[in-house]
Amino acid sequence: MKRLIIPTLLALLVAGCSSTPDTAEQTGAPVDSRGANDGKIATVTAGNMDSRKLPPELTDPKNILSKRSVYFDYDKFDIKAEYKDLVAAHAKFLNNNRQFKMLIQGNTDERGSREYNLALGQKRADAIKKQLVLLGAREEQVESVSLGEEKPKNPGQNEAAWAENRRGDMLYSGEF
Amino acid sequence: MFRPSLSLRGLSLIACSVLAFSMLSTTPANAELTIEITGAGANRIPVAIADFGGEPGSSRALTSVVRGDLEHSGLFRMIDTTGVAITETTSPAYADWKNRGADALAAGSIGPSGDGRQEARFRLYDVTRQAPLGGAAFVTSSAMLRAAGHRIADVIYEKLTGEPGVFSTRIAYVVKSGPALYELHIADSDGQNAQAALKSREPIISPTWSPDGTRLAYVSFENKKPVIYVHSLASGQRIVVANFKGSNSAPAWSPDGRKLAVTLSKDGGSQIFTINADGSGVQRLTTNSGINTEPFFAPDGQTIYFTSDRGGSPQIYRTSLNGGDVQRVTFEGSYNVSPRISADGKTMAFISRRENGFRLAVMDLASRQVQILTDSFKDESPSFAPNSRMILIATEIGGRGVLSAVSVDGRIKQRLSIPAGDVREPAWGPYLR
Amino acid sequence: MPARRLRCSSAISTVALLLAVLGAQQAHAGLFDDEEARRQVNDLSIKVNERVDTLSKAQIELLNQIQSLREDNAKLRGQLETLQYELESTKKRQQDFYVDLDGRLRKLETAGVAAADTAKPGEGEAPPADAASKKPAADPAAEAREYEAALTLFKANKLKDAANAFEAFAKTYPDSALTPNAYYWQGNALAAQRDCKRAIDAYRVVVNKWPQNPKAPDSLIGVASCQQELGDAKSAKTTLEAVLIKYPDSPAASTAKQRLKK
Repeated sequence: MKRLIIPTLLALLVAGCSSTPDTAEQTGAPVDSRGANDGKIATVTAGNMDSRKLPPELTDPKNILSKRSVYFDYDKFDIKAEYKDLVAAHAKFLNNNRQFKMLIQGNTDERGSREYNLALGQKRADAIKKQLVLLGAREEQVESVSLGEEKPKNPGQNEAAWAENRRGDMLYSGEF
Repeated sequence: MFRPSLSLRGLSLIACSVLAFSMLSTTPANAELTIEITGAGANRIPVAIADFGGEPGSSRALTSVVRGDLEHSGLFRMIDTTGVAITETTSPAYADWKNRGADALAAGSIGPSGDGRQEARFRLYDVTRQAPLGGAAFVTSSAMLRAAGHRIADVIYEKLTGEPGVFSTRIAYVVKSGPALYELHIADSDGQNAQAALKSREPIISPTWSPDGTRLAYVSFENKKPVIYVHSLASGQRIVVANFKGSNSAPAWSPDGRKLAVTLSKDGGSQIFTINADGSGVQRLTTNSGINTEPFFAPDGQTIYFTSDRGGSPQIYRTSLNGGDVQRVTFEGSYNVSPRISADGKTMAFISRRENGFRLAVMDLASRQVQILTDSFKDESPSFAPNSRMILIATEIGGRGVLSAVSVDGRIKQRLSIPAGDVREPAWGPYLR
Repeated sequence: MPARRLRCSSAISTVALLLAVLGAQQAHAGLFDDEEARRQVNDLSIKVNERVDTLSKAQIELLNQIQSLREDNAKLRGQLETLQYELESTKKRQQDFYVDLDGRLRKLETAGVAAADTAKPGEGEAPPADAASKKPAADPAAEAREYEAALTLFKANKLKDAANAFEAFAKTYPDSALTPNAYYWQGNALAAQRDCKRAIDAYRVVVNKWPQNPKAPDSLIGVASCQQELGDAKSAKTTLEAVLIKYPDSPAASTAKQRLKK
């Protein structure tokens, strides 16, 4: 599916030229059907979209974009290899949907000072933001903030709970 | 036995101004803190506080506040006064009190002041030397009887220990009840008279008193991100001081109350800035790319202590406001955070990780000698009493947040807890003026 | 191959440019038909996207490297901070030990000198007038206090004040048993301030006036250090050799030996 975006754009551009494509190429397809079955282009043209209603691709559990959390190791801030595709997918979505804004909330486990943990969570949120921007999101689309240890997903006091709380969440306008 | 007082000779009555405390705008909270002493000084001064004369209800209330304050301080032992009916006008029978084991005696009364309010008077005596130590009178409304009691306890404390008492001060703390109810409370130093200044569905952290005690700065997450507010307690009016892109946290007042040192992430990383109390005039102070947070003004108003991970682990550093060198202050251990400097400038309280527990520690700033004061697992957010003698911290007992007041020498420990709630983020207020 | 990352704007502008060129060429020669144009555009866009992809990856790689360098740098900084602190504390402790040791030795030495004075044959019958003219002038208590005060300054690392205080002491009590020590410490205080020339002068006084004093060989070591500091290795060597010749059994001799080995 994702491979089709560029050919679609190109097809649109080409269609703008004098020559008219009459047959679908191997990787191409008719313009009108593409616009209908792929939400991305529709959202671009939607103009003032209701921000509370997220497009299905962000919520469809089968779509990678429905996943929003990046987990970190103790005292670590680098994005582990297993989350690179996830971050890349969101970067691409933001690139294609410039009217969307994202809030990244960094979280930490409960050990240590609240204020220091707030700074640690910020470091995690910043790491995700940097990656997103490098992969095509615009700086002004993304805000990274920290919740520190204040909003634990798992309130337990054990390693499993802590691991769940060392996390960055990517939220779209309407989700926060 | 105790330092003689020179300031008050005989019965000099200090007509104190009316104790009109600013009422908080929100409804009183139901849950009140209870104090439990878990460690006391080795040599407690035996003191007799005779029942105050006057109308029985008021008298009982007043007497119990004075006795409770002195006892909770861990420095005094109450001598039984059963069967004695004396007031500030009675000549004390020194020999009798000596036989009962008292080193000091206080006697007083409460009665109408003539303008519809009440006046509490008392006198204090040195039983050993058979000499009066002074006295005082406080005019108060019936509702503020407890406040008068705290004032009296402060006077007695100061006469007998040579240090100002802090019973009249107030404390702020956050109560979390249930998964999504946070309340910022203001209470008397004994945990009584608690009132909620702010209720929120989202976390409230880092409350800190303005030096004049009229405002609190804190961080609220009500906008789904940390934002710094300054809240006037009397009016309930709130100002957003810092709501920049990213996180805004860790406010600390300058000693003159004009500025705050804060941590902002607007320029990337966590950097310390100073900002005027109205939110204007932002100036960046730290430039290191890592974490810089938990700023705290030393009493000189020029030095800022803070926590940074620039050396690979969180440690405490200090720097000058005019941009001098940054000096590292802590060296023992791999986690030293939350620096707070006592009002006399001599001691730094902080949290140090030792043997996997987060413990309250103090450093004598002149000698750099460090002392660990607790053996807890999860101490947090230290806050000095304005007399530099006690430190209030949040800690955890049985999975529940409680407050604990620990003396700077580690000998006296009091625990303050609310039966049903999780108490955290304490801040000890300044002297009342 | 994961999803292709794209930079829409750059891709589109490139494509637009290409189309313009294509259009022109088509008008001129009609070399490309539509099929060919589309194929080329497609190829180009794939290339551009691959390039953006590679660049992004490289940038992320760089970001990770910078991050890990920062962490290394922070660790090194932490180690440096700790080492500096430890060095400072060690220096201070060493100075404390040294001063303490000197204080204790001094007691022994003064006692020794006093004993030697009284034990010297013939001198026991020294003219009383001479003894009277010297001794009563000095108040032993004040003398000890002043010396102690100077030493305290040195201990507190107030080197300038310490040097002045020792100098004043030596002037006030030129004949005290502590005077050679005072010159020696004045030398040390000056040397610590890198005032090597004056330090040498002070050390020399000890060596010349009290050649038998235990501080004399130590002073020579001081002289040698200062000469070294001044870049005069040759003189330093001569001085150290002099220690070996004049004071072969002193502790300073072993220090001299060690230094000469280097």
